Amino acid sequence: MSNLHITTPQERIISAAQRIGEVPEKLFLFRSCTGSMEYPGTENSIKEVLKILEVEVVMDSDQTCCSGYILTCSGYPPEPSLAITARNLALVEQRYGLDTYMFCNGCFGYNTELSHILNHYPKYKEMANNIIAQYGYNYQGKTRIRHVQELYYLLIDKIREKVVRPLNGLRVGVHYGCHYLAQQYGILDEGDLPTFHEEIIEALGGTPVFYKERRMCCGYAVGRGFTHKESVVEPHLAKKFDSAKEEGVELITTCCPGCNVALDREQPALAKRGFGPYDIPVIDIAQLIGLALGVPIWKLGFNANTTPLDRVLNKLGLEKGE
Amino acid sequence: MPREREKDWDENLYKKIDRYDLVQNLEQCLQCGKCTGNCPVAAITPSYNPRAIINDILSGDITRLLDSEEIWRCFWCANCYRVCPVDIHYPLLMMQLRYAALEEGYGLKYVQPINKYAFRAMEKGLTFVPGQKGIEKIMKLRSQLQATSWPEVSEQAIKEFCEIFEQTGAKAWMENLENMPEKPLRLSFLEGRITDE
Repeated sequence: MSNLHITTPQERIISAAQRIGEVPEKLFLFRSCTGSMEYPGTENSIKEVLKILEVEVVMDSDQTCCSGYILTCSGYPPEPSLAITARNLALVEQRYGLDTYMFCNGCFGYNTELSHILNHYPKYKEMANNIIAQYGYNYQGKTRIRHVQELYYLLIDKIREKVVRPLNGLRVGVHYGCHYLAQQYGILDEGDLPTFHEEIIEALGGTPVFYKERRMCCGYAVGRGFTHKESVVEPHLAKKFDSAKEEGVELITTCCPGCNVALDREQPALAKRGFGPYDIPVIDIAQLIGLALGVPIWKLGFNANTTPLDRVLNKLGLEKGE
Repeated sequence: MPREREKDWDENLYKKIDRYDLVQNLEQCLQCGKCTGNCPVAAITPSYNPRAIINDILSGDITRLLDSEEIWRCFWCANCYRVCPVDIHYPLLMMQLRYAALEEGYGLKYVQPINKYAFRAMEKGLTFVPGQKGIEKIMKLRSQLQATSWPEVSEQAIKEFCEIFEQTGAKAWMENLENMPEKPLRLSFLEGRITDE
């Protein structure tokens, strides 16, 4: 028996500089299904923010969905997902030789986990490579999987300098999302008490709010939003929103379009079931950075939100069409 | 609680559940219960208890596992994995436990509505593509941003995505689930617990 989980020689928490190294001139941005369909403003904002931060973004139309979400719903066995992960990452390795940056915690978590399996189990790597060989791919495990939020944190000083629309003390509660913090090794912060998003909020001129349940899951992973909405997801989310409301949170930021769906779209349904009511808009942290860095508001895609941002924009003295 | 029968016990249960050999260190479980204490689902459904589930798998007791309603409530948030002192990858164990339940006809109703999207993903290369009305809304939102009206996924990528599902046998596995008769579930870990269900 191998104890690969135990002896992995990695630090539990590392700095952004260790995690990324030199600031990349160019990165491969992995398309997220939810981030490009439900909230297309997320993808757009990331591109705009990275343009301001002088990092070139590459995307490829041959990249498909990571296929991890339905795998973890036990919708199908892991073989197709292992092959698809190998295919998507081999594409990045072979065509671009860049690091792969995710902007969805799902894509990040599933690709990290599945590539870990590919790299540690020769039988699965061989199986995956045999399948993708017919399309001319060969996965070697060279591309590193990173999250764009790690890059924001690495560039926090540059972001602070470039703020043109300071948030004027806007009370922002952050949501980190489980599939980033639940990585046991090599992440930016302690899973129990992470603070790096709060530091980014501070750099943008906002007031980070430490609400009690900020660490808690959005409740939408593995399809529970489809199957257990009333019995589990809604009471769970109500706890989270109650604690945010208590602390006077005016805006919640996420770093995962999936969490964004759960937290944003569920609010009217919660009110119907007698919870709340809550009226806390939820956006991706890239959208908030874009807002502070002066990206035109129409490019941030706030129209996709169920819980409107009007109050937040009013407070900052901005118009939706700007 | 139904009577336990000898055939319900299986000393190889752990290896049968962990069919992909992904949770190699389950036997190191200390039964400390940190997984349960950190579980947001256990906070709402007290009879869902990851520690007890690991205990049952290791002792080979299948009586409560397969027809359990509780196992379908896990969010896969991986807080259990994060806090585990011996790094047991409980989410991967849960994924495989659910395979075992599905293949016996339990919990199909919790997978079929999601697999509808998996079948659609094979046509689009993207997961959670909505119906026609939703597609129009997405196209409108994207064109407001002056982005391409639909996420750019090439025909070749979609073809390869779909073929991978066919060649690995996953598509056939999913179609098989569609035609299986559904067996009823129960909250099977209620004994000795105070719950309101």
